[in-house]
Amino acid sequence: MKANESVLVIGGGIAGMQASLDLANRGSKVYLVEKTPSIGGRMAQLDKTFPTMDCSICILAPKMIECLRHPNITLLTYSELQSVKGSAGNFRVEVLKKPRFIDENKCTGCGECAQYCPTEVPNEFDMNLGIRKAIYIPFPQAVPLKYTIDEENCIKCRLCQKICKAGAVDFDQKPETVNLKVGAIIVATGFELFDAGRIREYGYGKYRDVLTSLEFERLLSASGPIGGHLLRLSDGCVPRRIAFIQCVGSRSLKGGVQFCSSSCCVYATKEAILVREHHPECEVYIFYNELKVFGKGFQDFVKRAQNEWGVKYIRALPGEVVEDPKTHSLIIWYEDTKENMTKNTEIDLVVLCPALVPRIANKELAGILGLELDKYGFFKPRDVLYTPVDTNVPGIFICGYCQGPKDIPESVAQASGAAARAAEVIALSSSGGVR
Amino acid sequence: MVAEPKIVAFLCNWCAYAGADLAGVSRIGYPPNIRVIRVMCSGRVDPAFIIRAFETGADGVLVGGCHPGTCHYVSGNLEAEKRMENTKKLLKLIGLGPERLRLEWISASEGGKFAQVVTEFTEELRKMGPNPLKAKAKMEAPINTKQAISEAVKKTNVQYCLECGKCSGSCPISKVNDAFSPRRVVERSLLGFEERVLSGTDLWTCLTCFLCTERCPSDVRFPEFVRACRPMASVELKEELCAHRGIPMALSRMMLNPKIKQDRMGWLPEGAEISKRGDMLYFVGCIPYFDVIFEDFNLELLKIPQSVVKILNNVGIKPALLSNEKCCGHDMLWTGDLENFEKLAKKNVADFKRARATRIVTACPECYRTLKKDYAEVLGNFDFEVLHISELLSELVDKGELKFDAGFSKKVVYHDPCRLGRHMGVYEPPRKVITSIPGVGLLEMGRNRENAICCGVSSFMSCNKYSKEVRMDRLREAKATGADLLVTTCPKCQIHWRCLTTEKPPIDPEIVTMEMRDFSVLVAEAMR
Repeated sequence: MKANESVLVIGGGIAGMQASLDLANRGSKVYLVEKTPSIGGRMAQLDKTFPTMDCSICILAPKMIECLRHPNITLLTYSELQSVKGSAGNFRVEVLKKPRFIDENKCTGCGECAQYCPTEVPNEFDMNLGIRKAIYIPFPQAVPLKYTIDEENCIKCRLCQKICKAGAVDFDQKPETVNLKVGAIIVATGFELFDAGRIREYGYGKYRDVLTSLEFERLLSASGPIGGHLLRLSDGCVPRRIAFIQCVGSRSLKGGVQFCSSSCCVYATKEAILVREHHPECEVYIFYNELKVFGKGFQDFVKRAQNEWGVKYIRALPGEVVEDPKTHSLIIWYEDTKENMTKNTEIDLVVLCPALVPRIANKELAGILGLELDKYGFFKPRDVLYTPVDTNVPGIFICGYCQGPKDIPESVAQASGAAARAAEVIALSSSGGVR
Repeated sequence: MVAEPKIVAFLCNWCAYAGADLAGVSRIGYPPNIRVIRVMCSGRVDPAFIIRAFETGADGVLVGGCHPGTCHYVSGNLEAEKRMENTKKLLKLIGLGPERLRLEWISASEGGKFAQVVTEFTEELRKMGPNPLKAKAKMEAPINTKQAISEAVKKTNVQYCLECGKCSGSCPISKVNDAFSPRRVVERSLLGFEERVLSGTDLWTCLTCFLCTERCPSDVRFPEFVRACRPMASVELKEELCAHRGIPMALSRMMLNPKIKQDRMGWLPEGAEISKRGDMLYFVGCIPYFDVIFEDFNLELLKIPQSVVKILNNVGIKPALLSNEKCCGHDMLWTGDLENFEKLAKKNVADFKRARATRIVTACPECYRTLKKDYAEVLGNFDFEVLHISELLSELVDKGELKFDAGFSKKVVYHDPCRLGRHMGVYEPPRKVITSIPGVGLLEMGRNRENAICCGVSSFMSCNKYSKEVRMDRLREAKATGADLLVTTCPKCQIHWRCLTTEKPPIDPEIVTMEMRDFSVLVAEAMR
C-alpha cells in the first residue's frame, strides 16, 4: 500500500523539521503539522545560538525554506491533530486545518493588508512584547509566507479585503478536516516556559524590567520589537547593570519542576556575552546555583565569558527582587555563598531563566495518540536507555524537548534518530514484514 | 501541720535593708519566715523577679524601699511603686491574689516598723494559705543530640538543601545581621557541627517566620528544624535572649498548676452574652495578661476580646468562654519546652470537652496555628474545628450575613502575620472582611501575602537591634503606602511594633506611632 509510506510529523520546530527533511530526502512522503501559522518553532525566536554565536534564524531559515520547497513535504500549518486510528504501518489521521481566512494559493505575502489593518494586538512570537496586526505573519521570515487573520481579534472591517490586490482574503473560509493515511508518526512538540510569575519573589509581571530569557532574546533580536537595541522597557534607557537568575522554577522540589532544563546556564552565558557585545560598559551578573554546562565546548564557552567578556558569575540564588520605593530601581538580595555574606545590589534589568517545561497540550495529544506521559508531562520513551525515541505505541516516535530536556544539537540528533526509526516501520510495512 | 509561709524580701540597701539591720541589732523579734535579698534600690526589682519567686514557691514577696522623697536615686522608689501596682494586676489575673505582694516604705531608723511589717505579713499569709505553686527540681532526660538532630534533618527536609542561599537572601534578619544565615546553620548541622548549632545564638535568632521555606526550592522547612533543635539548645542562652524577662512564659507555666484558678474575666463588658458551655467556644488567649504587661504601650488590648464578643453576639452567636482558660502553649512549643506544652495542650483539650465545644474561634494567629496544627500533631487527634475570626466572618460576608452600621472613610493597610499567613495559608479572609466595611479602602504593601515580612519578633525571643530594624522596615513600608491605619490580625505584632515607642532616645516618632488597629477591633467599630 502506497499510503503507508508516508509519515506524519507533529510540530514544526527544529526537531520536527529535521525529522521531516531526513524522511523526505529518503523518499518518504511527509505531512508536517504545525499549530501556529508558521514553522520555525522556538529556534526562530532566538537571536543567537550557543556556543558558536551563530545567528539563529540565519541557520534556520534555509531549513524552513527547504521544508516548504521539498516535493515530498506537505506543510499543514495552522493545523492541529484531531484523531488517530489504526496501528503501525497503517494509521488513519484526521487533521483540522484552522481557517486563515486567506487563500494560501493567492496570497503573495506582500503585507499591504497588515499596513492597513486597524487592529493591533500583542505579538505572541515576540513574547507579547511587540505588536502585530489582526492580519499578520508572526515574523518576517515566516514559512509559508502567507498571512493569517486572527479571528479572535479581527473586527471584520474588511479593509484588508479591499486592499488585497490578489483577492486572497476570504472571510467565508471554514475549518477543514484533512484525512491522511500514514505509516508512522513523529511527535516533536517542544517546550513552553514555566510561568515565572509563580516564583513571586522575583516580581515577574509586577516589575516592568524583570523579563524572562525568551523575552530578552526577542529584545536582542534584530527582528524583535525594538530592533535589537538593548534597552530597558520601562524607560527606554540603556541598562548599566543586568542580572540573570538561573533555576527559576526548575530543580525545585516545591512550586516548580524537579528537573534541570539543561540549557539555561549556557544560554544565559550566551545572552550575557551578547549584552557585553551590545554595550561593553554594561555589567552583567549571572546568579547560579550550579553551573550545569556539560555539552561539547560549553565549559570553554563559560570560561571565555568570564575571562574575555568579563561576565560575573555569583554562586547564589537570590532571595528576592524588590523595587527601591524611591529610585524605582530593582534591588536583588542574595547570599554570596562563597563569601558567606548576605548582600544586595542594584540592577537595571533582571532576566529570569525559567524552567523549560513540556507543553500542557501534550496531555490532550497523548490522549489522541494513546501515548504515556511521565510525571512532568514529557512523552515517555519505551525505554530511556535503549529505545529513547520509541513510545508505548508501535509506529509513534518522539524527539526533541517533548521527550526530555535538551538543547538544539541534541534535538536535531534525536530528530534524525526518530526519522530513522520511522523509516524502519515504513520499510517493514511496505515490504509486508520481515521474512 | 500547717506549712510556715515563706517570704522573699527585696530590700533596698539604703533604707529597708538598714531598717532590718536595725531591728536585728536592737533585738526586736519578728517571725523567721523571711529570706532577704538586698538590692541597691527598690526600683531594681523587676516584676520578673517577683513572678519567678512565686513560680518557684514563695508564699509572699515583700519589697521594701525608702519613703517617697528620700530615694538615694531620686525616684527609684516611685518607679517601684508603679511596677508593683502592675505586678499586682498580674497576680490577680493568675489567681494568686495581689495581697501576696507587699510594698512597704521602711527607713533606716524604722527597725520597729520592719519587724511589725514582717509579723503582719506572715500572719496574713498564714490566713491565705500556701501558694499552690511549688518549685520543682528540673529533671532533664539525657538526649542524644546527634541522633535527635539527624532525625530533625530528615523530618524537615534539611538534607535536600542545595546551598543556594535563597533562604539568606530572603531572611529579614540575614539582611541586617551578617552573622546569621539559615543556609550556614543547615550546613553546620549537615557537616556534624551540631554542638556549635546548639550552643550558638542562631537558633534563637530565627524568627520562624517561614519566609525562607516559602521560597526554598528544596522545601527545607528551616523554622521547623530550628524548633526541633531548640529543646536541646543552651538553656542559659535562651534565658539570656528572651525578651520581657520571660514573664509571659512564666505565667503560662503557672497556669499548669491545677490549684491555680485565674481571675481573668474582668475584661468582659456588661451585657455581653456568653455561656459556660456551647458549640462555639471563643479562645481568648493571653490578651488579659498582655494588657497588664504592656500597659505602657497604650494599645487598649482588652478591646480585642471585647470586640470579638460583640461581633459574635451581633451575628447571633453566644460563645462559650473558659473562666480558667490556659495559654495555648505556642511560646513553649517554639522555645523548646515540649513537656509543658504537652501538658497545656491536654488541659485545654479537657476544658474544651467539658465545655462541649465542637468549634473554636480565636482572634490570635498563634493560638490558631497551635490549636489547629500542633495540638493534633502532639496529641495524635484533636476533634475540634478551629477557626480564625476572619475566616468565620468572611464566610458570613459570602452569605451576605455580615452587616455594618457605620463606615469610615479610611485607607487601611493590612499586615499578614506569619502564623496566619505563611504558616496556615490564610491570606484572603481578613482582606475580604476589611474591604466589605463601608468606606474602607484596602492598600497593600509591596511585600504582601506569601512575601510579607515578619513584624520582627516571635515567641518573645531575641529582641535586639536587628529585630528592631526589621520592625522599623515593616512600619516604614506600611507608612509608605499612604494608609491612615495599619491593621493586623495578631495582637503580638502590635505589641512588638508599639514597643518601639519606648526606645530611648526615641526613634522616628512619625513611623513608630503610626495608628494601628486589631482586625477584630476595626470590624467591631463598624458595628453598632
